[in-house]
Amino acid sequence: MSTTTVRPSTASIRPRATRKPAASGRKWLFTALAGVVALIVNVPLLNAALVSFKPDGEIAKNPLAPPASPTLDHYANVLYASGYDFPRFFLNSALIAIGTVLVVLVIAIPATYAIVRLGFGGRWIISSASGLRLLPAIFFVVPFFILFSTLGLQDTIQGLIAANAFLNLPLAIILLSSALGDIPQEIEEAAAVDGASIYRTLGSIVLPLLAPTVVAVAVLVFIFSWNDYLFALVLSTSNATPVTLGAANFITSTGIRWGDISAASVLSTLPPLLFAVFAQRYLVSGLSSGAVKG
Amino acid sequence: MPHTVERAKTIAAERHKRTFAATVLSLPLILFAAVFVLYPLASGALTAFQSSTLLDQSNELNGIDNFVSLFRSDGFAKAAGFTVGFSAIVVALEMVLGFALALVMNRAFPGKKLFFTLLLLPIMIAPALLGVMFRLLLNGDIGALPTLLESVGLSVSLFSPDSVVPLLVVLDVLQWTPFTFLIIYAGLQSLPKELLEASAMDGAGYFRSLFSVVVPVLKPVLFAAFFLRAIDAIRTFDVIYVLTAGGPGTTTTTLSIFIYKTAFEAGDFGKAAAAALVVLLCLIPFVPFIVRRISSTGMEARR
Repeated sequence: MSTTTVRPSTASIRPRATRKPAASGRKWLFTALAGVVALIVNVPLLNAALVSFKPDGEIAKNPLAPPASPTLDHYANVLYASGYDFPRFFLNSALIAIGTVLVVLVIAIPATYAIVRLGFGGRWIISSASGLRLLPAIFFVVPFFILFSTLGLQDTIQGLIAANAFLNLPLAIILLSSALGDIPQEIEEAAAVDGASIYRTLGSIVLPLLAPTVVAVAVLVFIFSWNDYLFALVLSTSNATPVTLGAANFITSTGIRWGDISAASVLSTLPPLLFAVFAQRYLVSGLSSGAVKG
Repeated sequence: MPHTVERAKTIAAERHKRTFAATVLSLPLILFAAVFVLYPLASGALTAFQSSTLLDQSNELNGIDNFVSLFRSDGFAKAAGFTVGFSAIVVALEMVLGFALALVMNRAFPGKKLFFTLLLLPIMIAPALLGVMFRLLLNGDIGALPTLLESVGLSVSLFSPDSVVPLLVVLDVLQWTPFTFLIIYAGLQSLPKELLEASAMDGAGYFRSLFSVVVPVLKPVLFAAFFLRAIDAIRTFDVIYVLTAGGPGTTTTTLSIFIYKTAFEAGDFGKAAAAALVVLLCLIPFVPFIVRRISSTGMEARR
């Protein structure tokens, strides 16, 4: 990872005076240590991945062994077999996550510019955004349920997009405002002198400079919306059910189809994981700067 | 002086234009916040004083009845106790382990990039999906862990009242230690090298310079990691709900699960809103303090 945030370290805690060439063998000790911890924290995912490739007979017989005769049947079942709504759950999750990202960016970018540069509302908006971020979502569950029934947003994709936008807007405003604060204002003033309107300045000067933070926000919001469970549980019944709820439903409704459940849970985890890996350098700076996660 | 008047006019027009633009640009946020933040906050607070249920949102005011019944039932106190105890234990463990891991990862060694990526994966997995994966891993018949334990002669019933709490602690630590690690690691990376060189020059050993140099300098970052985890631990819902649904009995009912069940299983919206309001009022005093802590360290950790 070549990022401004997390540079491969040359300065370790160990004082330089005591670091001898003999330490090169010890390097591998740290490799082993990091490897073991990385393995342990990923055991549930690894286990699910292994089970998802095992034929049904093997799953029950020897839970500890890797698949002897790997199969893709469970993935085929989950994706194609009738009776499973999984593809729809997956599509719902994608629509909700992408929709939330768009709504959050469209609302947060201009508003943050107005707050930070044009003095709209003052600092208290940023503070209350940070505060709102810290309050438990559960407080809003009953009011949202009542509100959504009134607005006809129950069990709709739009409804879950609104709920997730509500959860993620504070994070977006916090991250964008701190990034905007780092951009020298003189650039915008120069543009204004050249006759660019405020909207033009925002669109063609500020936005490109903000791009890395916008990417960080987009990735984080995508992951958090994809991972939402509580609002989905309360605000969706069948039409708008996302994978977090759908994959958990497999357990109670179909009871013992462990292979299919594994395949479903692995598939459901892939989009945020892939996003996280590919956008890691943006993500790490996003997570550790605003330091506010879902 | 016509010039000055002209200038004053342009400045006024300019200011007017800026105010107008600010309003236009903030309009979507204002509308959204009015409908999805302010209104729910107000209606939630109101519901706490109404006899409202899942089936009949009659909106009849009933004074403090909801709060009385909330504090009379022992479910709320138990859930609060469990939530606070659970959070205290997991956060303490995650801080210590996250710090240790950050120290390990703060060195250069072969394969570091790969392991860094792998270490962060658990944070990205939906807690609800992780719950599903844990059900698979821990299942009494086909789970790898019970099978492993049996093969070494241990037969533990993982979800029994005695072992379920330690089990959930371990699972939370597995998922969120990577988070405290990430925050503390970012902090370690921003430590000025000179600091350590100076302490080495003074002849300080590893642990000595760790505790008298690194920890004090890192204090704001450690606080940030601590508060962020504490807040999230207190609102824990997904993994526990998927794994135990708050059971057996009410052994693992967190405040979030209690409020959810009160609203959507017992159907008592008024009481659930009252419970949410009490939790909110308990948390609010901490908010400005935490916001200040985090906003002062967040910037530092980013460098």
